[in-house]
Amino acid sequence: MTQSAAAPPPPAAQQAPAPADAQKSQRFWPAPTGKPVRAGIQDTPSLLNRLQIIGMAAVLLFGLASGLVQFLSYQSDGRAADDTEQLVRVQDIQSSLLSADALATNVFLVGGGGDPDREAAFRAAIEDVLKQIAAAADAQPADKNALEALVVEINDYTTSVAAAQVYNRQQFPVGAEYLSGASASLRLDALPILNNLVDANTDRAQDSLAGQHPFYLLLIGLLALGVLVWMSMVLARRFRRYVNVGVAVAAAIVLVTTLVASIAAWRGDNQNDDLHDHELQAAVDQAAARTAGNDAKALESLRLIKRGSGSTVEPQWEADAKVVEDNATGSALDSWNAYADGHRQIVAYDDKDLWFKARGIAIDRADNKPTAFFDAFDATTQKLAEKNGKTTSDELRAGRTVALLGSLLTLLLGLVSSVAVARGISARRKEYA
Amino acid sequence: MTSRKLGAVVAVVALLLAGCGGYDDTPLPKPDAATSSSSTPVECSSDLSPLISYDPGTGEPTGPKVEEIRAAQVLKVGVSADTYLMASRNPASNKIEGFDIEFVRAIGAALFDNDGNGQPFEVGKNIQFVVINAAERIPALQDGRVDLVVRNFTINCERWDQIAFSAEYYHASQKVLVRSELAPTYTGVDALAGKKVCAPTGSTSIGNLQDVQPDAIIVPAANHTGCLIKLQRGEVDAITGDDTVLAGLAAQDPYAVVPPPCDEVPVAPCQDPLTDEPYGIGANSGDKDLVRFVNYVVKQMEDDGDWDRAYSRWLKGPLGKCESDCEPGDQGIPPAQIFGRV
Repeated sequence: MTQSAAAPPPPAAQQAPAPADAQKSQRFWPAPTGKPVRAGIQDTPSLLNRLQIIGMAAVLLFGLASGLVQFLSYQSDGRAADDTEQLVRVQDIQSSLLSADALATNVFLVGGGGDPDREAAFRAAIEDVLKQIAAAADAQPADKNALEALVVEINDYTTSVAAAQVYNRQQFPVGAEYLSGASASLRLDALPILNNLVDANTDRAQDSLAGQHPFYLLLIGLLALGVLVWMSMVLARRFRRYVNVGVAVAAAIVLVTTLVASIAAWRGDNQNDDLHDHELQAAVDQAAARTAGNDAKALESLRLIKRGSGSTVEPQWEADAKVVEDNATGSALDSWNAYADGHRQIVAYDDKDLWFKARGIAIDRADNKPTAFFDAFDATTQKLAEKNGKTTSDELRAGRTVALLGSLLTLLLGLVSSVAVARGISARRKEYA
Repeated sequence: MTSRKLGAVVAVVALLLAGCGGYDDTPLPKPDAATSSSSTPVECSSDLSPLISYDPGTGEPTGPKVEEIRAAQVLKVGVSADTYLMASRNPASNKIEGFDIEFVRAIGAALFDNDGNGQPFEVGKNIQFVVINAAERIPALQDGRVDLVVRNFTINCERWDQIAFSAEYYHASQKVLVRSELAPTYTGVDALAGKKVCAPTGSTSIGNLQDVQPDAIIVPAANHTGCLIKLQRGEVDAITGDDTVLAGLAAQDPYAVVPPPCDEVPVAPCQDPLTDEPYGIGANSGDKDLVRFVNYVVKQMEDDGDWDRAYSRWLKGPLGKCESDCEPGDQGIPPAQIFGRV
């Protein structure tokens, strides 16, 4: 190894101070010969040993800590992808469950003969809900207990709906009681569980999305750099070389690695913020709109099943409509507004007890009728929620490989830096010898 | 030594950082506190018999409320839609029908057929049905949501303090419906000790049963049909309520039995009525003219034979009819109307 930039001789180096001063001062200056000035022969090797250990430990710790922070960020992005997927999944369960209720209540309004297509759609919605619950339990063990409780409630709900349909076919009024009881229990017992699931997974997703730590990476790098700079100063004082190439190379590696890792983490953090504020928020908003919309449609049917009692359910319909208007966008909102116009017509008829006219509008599935507009709203919001949720998790997973490679590379560069430090000290040791 | 310290520090940092990934379990909602099931007893403020109502006088009564309803061309009536035989939605026709609804139709026809506007009475146009449960009957009248309540509504002095009643239009009695496996040994409420018995929240049935069988475990439901669901699910052993309502429930479930009246020597299955339940039509306490009008119509129904036809159509089959030595208020016989309230 060559040494560059020989240090100018310090002014006081030529004069031999008194032995008493030597006892008091521990300050060393490089001598023109390259040998340590005023250093005892016994001190120099141990000093170099200590510096080597400190320097190697510093860069190894840097590699480990910085690599670990990056690895945790890699894991955090993975968790964020899983958590956002789970959030979208439980919101889909919530929406689909209310969609099933909207179908069940609407079919009931048709009468004893029912509507085979809508009954099939109800069964498909429940099947979808149960599959989603199985997937959710597999994806997030922390949700298992809540999902188990949810399955019990859904089982009670579907049993009651089945009983309602059977009694409706037999033309017994107990069928209506089974149905209204099932819908009430769904809102009283099942929806609070789903609300908890949505809240818990929202918190988890937000925590995971905040898993990038550019400041920590910068801090770790600066600490390691500080140690290396201090080492260089000690070496420069002890020998007549300003720069120890090994230590300088290690410092350069630490500096570049820190800058690259910090910038990458900062960009990742910004990207996660963007995903949170746009795609994920859009998925959450569309799911919230779909949930509220289906609740409203079910309430519309229930007000007609419980004839003349619209005033008790209409305030909740209006609250649901506000949620939809606040969250739905584009064609989904247009479809909702078209449906809502029809709903107001239903209310006007029902308030005048023109029940058959109100029911006719509520169950008419022809194109350009309120129920068809509602179906369009439901399909659009579901599609948008799925699409935005998928984009969020795909984007989060896309950058993970680079982050993993970055963490491994940082670890490796920590090792390389430690070798550089060892070789730099070794050069000094040879000079001394 | 230094290497060991270094290793320890790295291990601690790694553990601290790696330990951040665990999640707490999603919490389950806490169950709501149980709600009270029985109605609060209220002291009566009058010694007047609750069966005494406002006299319709001679001719068709009228007054501000009657005129207001005629002007609006709509009579709002609180009814049940799930009390089979009394007032329930027919799933085939989607119309509300039953014994109580016959009275609503008669009142509507009397109000609007001869109101001088030349338009014939039409149920869908002139009658606005408001489906309510038992607990909503009095509040719906007090807040003006409905003009009348025709929903198996027992007349008593506690309720007279809150609303007004027509004269008695049907004399029911409180009985017990049991699961079919209990019927073979059932001879009265003694058999209900320790058994779960369902009754609608806010109804008088709960207090009446507790008076004669305090060891029965009362399980409330929103209405009698809700009680039938609990019976079908095995959550209760019996339902108590008016015989008219229980007959409708038993007609929907072959495993629900209303034991017949006991003879002088009780032979199971049989039961004696727990209480008499005189049915009246409820109105806001300020609408005395409307009550007089209702009393006029009910009397007309009795005189014209419409009452008998309505009973024969809806209740005679399951409840039977007194055939000999009958008094007013016996099974299938119109009760005596008593007037004199001022």
